[in-house]
Amino acid sequence: MIIIAIPLVPTLAALIALLTPRIQLIRLTTVLGTFATLVLSMIVAHEITQRIRLTVLPHWIGVGGLSSLILVLQGFVALTAALYSWGYMKRVTSLHPQRQQQFYVNLNLFLASLFMVPIFLQPALTWVAVELTTVLSVFLVGFDNTPRALEAAWKYAVITIMGATVAVLGIFLLLWGLLTLHVSIQTWDTLKTAAPHMPVVQLKLAFVLIFIGFGTKVGIVPMHTWLPDAHSQAPTPVCALLSGVEVSTILYVIMRLWPVFEQIPGGFAQNWALVFGLISVGTAAFLMIQVRDFKRLFAFSTVEQMGILLVGLGLGPAGHYAMMYQLLTHAITKSLVFYSAGAVFLATSTLDIASVKGVIRSSPVAGTTLLFSGLAIAGAPPFAVFLSEFALFRASLMSRHIIVLVLLLVFVTLAFFGILRHLNHMIFGPPSHPRITLPRSVIWTLVIGWIPVLVLGVYLPASVHHLLTLTTLALRR
Amino acid sequence: MNQLMVVNHLLVNINSVIGALFLLSAVVLMTQRQAQAVLRLFVRQSILLAVSAFILGWLHHSAELMIVGLITIVAKAVLIPQLLTRTLGPDIRSRRELDFIVNTPVSLLIALGMTVLSYFFVAPLLNGANQTIAVNLPVGLDVLLIGVYTLAVRREAVPQMLAMMAIDNGAFYAGIAITTSSAIVELAAGLEGVMVVLIAAILARTLAQRVGSTEVSELTHLKEGERIGEKEGESE
Repeated sequence: MIIIAIPLVPTLAALIALLTPRIQLIRLTTVLGTFATLVLSMIVAHEITQRIRLTVLPHWIGVGGLSSLILVLQGFVALTAALYSWGYMKRVTSLHPQRQQQFYVNLNLFLASLFMVPIFLQPALTWVAVELTTVLSVFLVGFDNTPRALEAAWKYAVITIMGATVAVLGIFLLLWGLLTLHVSIQTWDTLKTAAPHMPVVQLKLAFVLIFIGFGTKVGIVPMHTWLPDAHSQAPTPVCALLSGVEVSTILYVIMRLWPVFEQIPGGFAQNWALVFGLISVGTAAFLMIQVRDFKRLFAFSTVEQMGILLVGLGLGPAGHYAMMYQLLTHAITKSLVFYSAGAVFLATSTLDIASVKGVIRSSPVAGTTLLFSGLAIAGAPPFAVFLSEFALFRASLMSRHIIVLVLLLVFVTLAFFGILRHLNHMIFGPPSHPRITLPRSVIWTLVIGWIPVLVLGVYLPASVHHLLTLTTLALRR
Repeated sequence: MNQLMVVNHLLVNINSVIGALFLLSAVVLMTQRQAQAVLRLFVRQSILLAVSAFILGWLHHSAELMIVGLITIVAKAVLIPQLLTRTLGPDIRSRRELDFIVNTPVSLLIALGMTVLSYFFVAPLLNGANQTIAVNLPVGLDVLLIGVYTLAVRREAVPQMLAMMAIDNGAFYAGIAITTSSAIVELAAGLEGVMVVLIAAILARTLAQRVGSTEVSELTHLKEGERIGEKEGESE
């Protein structure tokens, strides 16, 4: 029952936000609601480590290792985003309390839709949940109502909804395969067992449609064009949610279908994942060098990270554990990076890299956290992403994908220097902006956000390791 | 009994004719300049989709498909056009695209290529499949591909949005034939389609108010290499 409660809590919070005009109360319910979802999802994850699977409604709603990991990550970023919004939105929309109310209603609804994606056992229902995440986040992306934000929202809506529609035909094809085999239950598991009996052409066509369709929303190059816009124009807490967990949540859908597609002979799916993964990492790395907007820089870093995850998926069983590890470290680090970038935005009120200098002097907190979180996402030790990327490199070496390894190393190094170059410009030198104090909630969010990044950077607790091992079960045939 | 078979046979053939018209509507939609004409075509296409759903519902004794047909009619042929004309007002009547990114003959050639391609993709799956699947699957995939192309070359917000919904029609046209007994997906998605359009319409309206145009080709501020300092409103 706990599982059903997870998306219900933000729905209730949205209802409260809709009904009461008292903004203080709305903020409090949002923070408490997201805290409750985090606790609930951690309870679910704990149960999973004991019992491998939890089913509420057989064939409809249930959770396994991978879904529980996604739930915990969503819960964590949701909580930090809610806390961050408290001070951030107060400052950026100071004159319009009504706009803040709209924001919170929308935010909670979006969270509810996000939590719905990993709990369904049927691909068709999951698809509906994915569509809902788009529909409910469009106005969050365009929240600033500037022409730029609206442009980003428009691209986001049109391109990702198109992607989802392409994916639905792929799902129809898989369901057709089940029907012709007279399987009436349409869950991930029945698809997995039925796949060897389906025609190869049908699986291939379904794979291509689903890979391109959901890949559009994951931000795989060349379908990524909307991502840097949407992930940079949205208000910062929303950016953290979109980049930190939304893309991974959509990638989760591809992962759930992976055991089906892995059965296509000739490593068809694996090769697609490797090729598109590497293209994404490479393109993002080159584009990161020439960006001029620092939120955009980190949005491209998301494209890069999604590419790395795809490579991990394509490496086969050897890369699966490392990929899940990377999924975890990316979610916690990327949200932190956006919170830091948002803090710099509060301190300077610009996103232009060229006009920001010496943040570390004008706002020591924002400068320090941006510097170190930027290093963390770029993959520098001793932070969490370094360990997971290293695990992935090792996996590609072990599975004898030498060319993949070399290309990955080149692109990741390039991206590292791309990030460093821009950070160096922004953080050091004579300060370009006057001193400013950050809202207290922003500082608290940064403190909370740093904890897992630092802890996972030095060691991996046994329980987390156990959960990660369980997540790879979802990818096994 | 015999009479029923004749009726069913006739219905299967009618479904094939509808398939041809459905494909034709996608091609014409691709070449239309005026927003209102695109909308009118979209409505006709949706009605064709609904009729096909009714026929398939009758043939397979599937109540779900009948409901899918009803939802399609209500949502796509009645609600969406009303919604669009109400939220966008005179814009939808007056706006037209003066020059296409790709000219019409080339577009037609591309559509032809896509048709051949989608038959090529699904041909191996059609051995042993019944006649309705043999029509709906390739036509649906083709309309989907043509829709993606249309969306890519459109410069106006409203036709772009309608192309998006035409992609939806294509996916569903194939879907109703291949997943006859489990149309719950289509039900959920059909309802959700209304929401998508509602959001897109509101967005297009805000866009028109703030940017002063529904021409999406003017939406080119977000790209690499552009200084952020060059504030909005300065675009010619």
